[in-house]
Amino acid sequence: MKKKGLYLLLLPGVLFLTLFMVIPIVLTIASTFYQEGSFTLQGYFQFLTDKYFMKILLTTLQVSIVTTIACILLGFPAAYYISKLGPRKKGILLALAIFPLLTSSVVRSFSWMIILGKKGLLNSSLLSMGLIDKPLEILYTPTAMMIGLIHLFLPLIIITLVGVMENIDPDLIKAAESLGASKFTAFRKVIVPLSVPGLIIGSILVFVGSLTAYTTPALLGGKQRVISTFLYQNAITLNDWYMASVIATIMIVITFVVIYVMNKLATKLNPKG
Amino acid sequence: MALLTLDNVSVAYDNQYILKNFHLNIEKGQLISLLGPSGCGKTTTLRLIAGFLEAKDGRFLFDGKDYTRVPVNKRNFGFVFQSYALFPHLSVFDNVAFGLRLRKVDETEVKKRVQQILDVVSLGGFEKRFPKELSGGQRQRVAIARALVIQPDLLLFDEPLSNLDANLRINMRVEIRRIQQELGITTVYVSHDQEECFSISDQVAIMNKGIIEQLDDPATIFKYPKTEFIARFIGFTNFIDFAERTEQDGEIGLRVGDHHFVASKNPGTANPAGKKCAMRPDDLLVTTEEVVDQNMNQLKGSVKVSTFLGRSYQYVVETELGDFTVNQEMETPYKTGQKVNLLFPKDKMVLVD
Repeated sequence: MKKKGLYLLLLPGVLFLTLFMVIPIVLTIASTFYQEGSFTLQGYFQFLTDKYFMKILLTTLQVSIVTTIACILLGFPAAYYISKLGPRKKGILLALAIFPLLTSSVVRSFSWMIILGKKGLLNSSLLSMGLIDKPLEILYTPTAMMIGLIHLFLPLIIITLVGVMENIDPDLIKAAESLGASKFTAFRKVIVPLSVPGLIIGSILVFVGSLTAYTTPALLGGKQRVISTFLYQNAITLNDWYMASVIATIMIVITFVVIYVMNKLATKLNPKG
Repeated sequence: MALLTLDNVSVAYDNQYILKNFHLNIEKGQLISLLGPSGCGKTTTLRLIAGFLEAKDGRFLFDGKDYTRVPVNKRNFGFVFQSYALFPHLSVFDNVAFGLRLRKVDETEVKKRVQQILDVVSLGGFEKRFPKELSGGQRQRVAIARALVIQPDLLLFDEPLSNLDANLRINMRVEIRRIQQELGITTVYVSHDQEECFSISDQVAIMNKGIIEQLDDPATIFKYPKTEFIARFIGFTNFIDFAERTEQDGEIGLRVGDHHFVASKNPGTANPAGKKCAMRPDDLLVTTEEVVDQNMNQLKGSVKVSTFLGRSYQYVVETELGDFTVNQEMETPYKTGQKVNLLFPKDKMVLVD
């Protein structure tokens, strides 16, 4: 077969994505610049000048950033531990790590509601131990969203990091130690920089995932809105498709900016990785 | 006193002993290599010295101090890995500077010392390159520079040349020997390549099943192996198992069945328990003539196999004492089945355990 013919194999996929993804996205973005037949940036002005909108955007970014950082901090040591194990134990622990991804996010969020609620498991045990006087307000706050999102996305960062860490030659640690590095210094100066590629990919997945997550913030956030629940509210409840499109476009822009910044960061931290 | 002593050391994995009651002394300034087949414990010994492994019991003394429990990063030993283990995210300069920076050496001093050591390994001008951009030989030289720049008290090599091609291996081993002698640094070198070990070492320790069977200078081992294992390992292919050994007129009499042999006294026959005789194929002679020679033992046989080796012929000669392999340079070869006289020079017979 001629090489040119091979490109035809791509056609069904490309066609599908063009029809059902590229065209709708382009139309959505284009529609935000036209209102009643003329070019306008009015929707963006409205969004960026409205304190309520901006607060939602900031909450979303805050939740996404904290979730990403928490996932990195929790996932990094766990991934390192798993990457050092033999194949059998590694398989078991990875399966356990992936487990949260296998349950529906609705079920998972309801479990968190039971745990975090005013009379939930957490509050009642803390109260009975006498550690607090009155129940903590966790459910229906950004904190609850973060807890739910961390639970959801921790596996992603662990899996990507284990993949990268497995391929780090264990002799590198030994080499660092023989040159005078303590185990911790060797970890910091060798393992951490060499894990940057996995860290970047994992962080992008977690950040974008948190930014666009709907179920978890909708159920655990209560009245507290994030950008995706706000988008839903505009489109479905308020039937304001124009504003919903503006919000969608802003989410897309944020996603691309984040990916761009992360990639820049990756090349800076790890020039030859 | 020896610089380094392993005293009665044992190492075990899952109750399987890799080393048991192991002893080794190394003198200052020497290059000693540990040679042996895979699984003989040579790498374990090296990793034990480096501190990557802990001894189950026994002691490791270095320069009169007990190093048994000293962690790797406090030992100040340079280690060169088979895989080079260069840090892929760091440039050549930063790789070499790694150990110095950990020692909080002043940055201008770091620069000076890194330049100096890169010149020693002939890699001046490569500072900004990354490991990926170097050839195998260059990477290995960076690894050596990185281990040397910290001015280690001991330099350890773990099969450093086995990932290089044949020509480069020869160049690199000359280079390693030159650097080692230039800096006078005590070195332990592990390899399974005989020629490599023999060519660069002051002393060679041949290991088998977790013990050192012989520790001598290369020439002595090559001429006078102490055990059958070593003899076979370094190319002695002919063995005669004698039943009786007697001292006679400054020589050694050996007997098996009706066959009487005589071996001259030399370091190779000094072992009083040695009754097994080992000989290289190059040292035996084959002839069709009757020979009267006081310095030769004789045995009758017939040619079983004749192989052309280029410069010489190799014969397998069948005798009452088994088959013997002989290499001999000659114009016209003997034919298969031909009756021959096998000659064993008295002074080429080595008696091993």
